[in-house]
Amino acid sequence: MKVAHYLNQFFAGFGAEEQASMGAVRVEGAVGPGRGLGLPVAVTYSCGDDYFGEAEDAALAQLLGWIAKDRPDVLVCGPAFGSGRYGYACGSLAREAARRGVPAVTAMEPDNPGVVAAEGWAYVVPTTPTVIGMRQALAGMAAIARLLGIGGEPGSPEEAGYLPRSIRRNVRVDRLGADRAVDLLLAKIAGDTLTEIAPPIAAVEPPPPVPNMTSALIALVTESGCVPRGNPDHLTSRRSSRWLRYTLDGVATLDSRGYETVHGGFDTTFANGEPNRIVPLDALRASERNGNYGALHPFLYTTSGVDTSVANAVRFGQEIGAELLDAGVTAVVLTGT
Amino acid sequence: MSTLARELERLGLPSVVITALPSIARMVGANRILRGVAITNPTGDPDLAAADERALRQRIVDRAIEMLQTKVPPRTIWETPR
Repeated sequence: MKVAHYLNQFFAGFGAEEQASMGAVRVEGAVGPGRGLGLPVAVTYSCGDDYFGEAEDAALAQLLGWIAKDRPDVLVCGPAFGSGRYGYACGSLAREAARRGVPAVTAMEPDNPGVVAAEGWAYVVPTTPTVIGMRQALAGMAAIARLLGIGGEPGSPEEAGYLPRSIRRNVRVDRLGADRAVDLLLAKIAGDTLTEIAPPIAAVEPPPPVPNMTSALIALVTESGCVPRGNPDHLTSRRSSRWLRYTLDGVATLDSRGYETVHGGFDTTFANGEPNRIVPLDALRASERNGNYGALHPFLYTTSGVDTSVANAVRFGQEIGAELLDAGVTAVVLTGT
Repeated sequence: MSTLARELERLGLPSVVITALPSIARMVGANRILRGVAITNPTGDPDLAAADERALRQRIVDRAIEMLQTKVPPRTIWETPR
């Protein structure tokens, strides 16, 4: 069995965020976590997380070209844990390889956007948010890869330890459909919502556009971790469980003497040199002066969007949104890194 | 984090996300997405001279404001106004 493995620049040992824009590379044999898979890893591919996100087509073309030439029996990607960019790269590459006939397995936190990117083509083993679960993640991927590599097929998600792939198969169950339906109904009457099939994320229709921009109140929201210099309220650099509000009253620009970012998910050198590169206050003020819109809401809403759980992100949106509606805000400009 | 934008839109607030990872924003259900310059600097470009960078940022912000005034189909991505 011939195994290929994908890692980001960090786990492949090329460097941390300062190497995140690194292009794709191909290395013979197992590297880093690949050595812990217990599989015959013939080749390792790697790529910077920012590079994959920003030049996805070029990155995929290069990596899939290598895969076509190397002809592995199975592709293993990650584990990516809670890292959104890394998870997205793993899920996208695994999906595209599987589409081309190379079965693929990856591993990440169930909230990771890479799970959606895999689109059910690749098997995704659920992991802890952080590397603390490395050993279990590697073992979980290896078990599935061993099967896939010899043309086998893992059992159900529960049996084989991967996330559901939105594939519905007929199975035999012990209880009649009528009994199960009544159970769900009773649960609902009791105020509980049970379901046998998890619903997808509810899509939202785009709200109608702002009808009259000259009277619009625009709010500035960011997940870039931008805070007053010194981080007085101790916003954490990752896994934020809260958002913060800072006054913009009388603030014309976010200069590096007054502001910085504590975001733990990208190289912050450029942002700290000129914070308007992540929160464009100077340009929004100019537009306000020029009458391109009514006025800027006098607060900046900020959090650090690294490994943030979906549940927390939903809550942030609801809480910030309620406050903005109360303040009569009409529209929002949000920056993300 | 574009989840946050989706939830703001759920409340009826038109929201434009400026991000260098538009495909992720689209996947989680943001509707008004403007591609930023780079992950480390969505609204700037350290390779440019200061005045040129400032002008680029102005174009990005004005494009974002334009997007808020535009009726868009779900999960629309607009490119960086270089």
